[in-house]
Amino acid sequence: MSTLGDIVVLIKPALNPEMIRSLPDGGVDFDNIPLKLSDIDRNAIEEANRLKELLKGKIYSITISTWGPIAKRDKDIKMAIQEGLAKGVDEAILLEDDSITPGDQITTASAIVSILNKFNIKPDIILTGEATIDGFSGQVAGRVAAKLNLPYISFARKIDLNGNKVIAERDLEDYVEVVETQLPAVISVTREINSPKPPTLIQIRMASKKPQHVVKLSDLTNVAMPKKKLAEAKVLSVKRKQTMIEGKSLEEVADKLIEILEQEGVLKH
Amino acid sequence: MVDVLVVVQKEADASELLTIAKKVGEPVALTYGNSEIEKLTKYFNKVYRIKEDDPNSIFFAIKTLYEKLNPKLVVGMSSKNLKDAYSRLAGIYDLPLATDIFDFNVSGSKVTYKRSFLSGRAIETEEVTMPLLLLVSPRKTQKSEGNSNGSIEELSIGNSSNVVIKERKEKVKGGVNLEAAEFIISVGRGFKNKDDLKLAFDLAELAGAQIGCSRPIAADLKWLTEDHWVGLSGKKVAPKVYLMFGISGAPQHLAGITDAKTVIAVNNDKTAPIFKNADYGIVADLYQFIPILTKKLKERH
Repeated sequence: MSTLGDIVVLIKPALNPEMIRSLPDGGVDFDNIPLKLSDIDRNAIEEANRLKELLKGKIYSITISTWGPIAKRDKDIKMAIQEGLAKGVDEAILLEDDSITPGDQITTASAIVSILNKFNIKPDIILTGEATIDGFSGQVAGRVAAKLNLPYISFARKIDLNGNKVIAERDLEDYVEVVETQLPAVISVTREINSPKPPTLIQIRMASKKPQHVVKLSDLTNVAMPKKKLAEAKVLSVKRKQTMIEGKSLEEVADKLIEILEQEGVLKH
Repeated sequence: MVDVLVVVQKEADASELLTIAKKVGEPVALTYGNSEIEKLTKYFNKVYRIKEDDPNSIFFAIKTLYEKLNPKLVVGMSSKNLKDAYSRLAGIYDLPLATDIFDFNVSGSKVTYKRSFLSGRAIETEEVTMPLLLLVSPRKTQKSEGNSNGSIEELSIGNSSNVVIKERKEKVKGGVNLEAAEFIISVGRGFKNKDDLKLAFDLAELAGAQIGCSRPIAADLKWLTEDHWVGLSGKKVAPKVYLMFGISGAPQHLAGITDAKTVIAVNNDKTAPIFKNADYGIVADLYQFIPILTKKLKERH
């Protein structure tokens, strides 16, 4: 049962873009790209820790696995959740089910709400990263806020609490907006909000003792099935020449560089 | 009968969004805040307006019109406030939403579009059935001419926002416009001090280049304003030449320069990953190399 002052962080094991693999036809080789905890969700976990000091509740993490097959992905998924537990999450809940992979944001948001109901978690704050490093669409937090009819603060780069009020700075294209709302609220954070450090060995060891729940789709109610179909994914091949400019001296190298800049037509004189 | 709701502020965006809307059917527009409303009436037969421009108010306005008009498509240009507003409407009705899309096509009630994926390293094509919500990547769609003479209707959404705006602080700008630049000289962590950036600025002034930078220089060290920041979370650029000094080549940075024609990297570490993602590579200490290059360019005049 949940107590007042609880925080929920939504964390995603995302395809690791740095480990992208290509099929012979140029398609994305999904099966051979590992998952890792999405970078900006690390900032959300870090912020949850800071806010926990003030709210005195528990930190829950909720994860909806979106990339299958689960049997193959299970280790990466559990590693991502373990990282959250090592970094201060108190209790983790995971939905793993091949029938909702590859998932979409409709399914993810409705499953998050369903899990909150099933575990009777009534958080003061729901935190997540502004977007995930694979899809980068940044819409799950807003969907969850709307479904729960809670205030939503997106792109927060600073969060302050004052009693039952939250004051945050939203980082927009041309300005920073200071906003205020009442708890409970849903907040998405940017990378700039803090600087998360990797967990220590002791933290990792402690993490395995913390409660973890794995649920299946059949354990939940009102989860919407995916509506988007990933028809095709191609590796973007920007082929660069990879030519090294060398010379006997830096002067000679500079001359060669100037020649290239002239050929490209960017030197005006 | 309305098929498409277009959420738009500027004429440049309206001309591209109209191209997309016409593939689906008859559009109306919603505009907000400080918009080019008179110009928008050239593109749409009806333009609804709210005076507010925060995501809560935009959300309430879109929701009101969605429920009233029942469009197949709600479309706008990608921006942070529209991502906020659209995601909430999508949440209420479990509607599909895709952001930063391009190459939009319709066949019956089926829609396909492309978007950048895996931090700019892949392009995905998604297929979905209408109704849906889309936010479009700017300057990737053909423009349409507007020949309407639309009417304006004020929309009242009431004061129902539960998020109160206390203050807006304009971001300090470095006066660059990287999206339009033909020649960009970009700086990274290879510079040891803020003052040393003068080396790059002097070179850029001489060469007629604009200054870009990697994430740490703008976001962490704050040596430069954010309008200099190139990458996934910064600017996407498409210059003829992108010349980098002291940038190692993180994928998030590379995601911002996929449209650059020629990429040149100067780095003192010959194993730096940037050399695999550059057309030309130079292994050199920037502190030695930039003064020599600057001197040579001066002599050229």
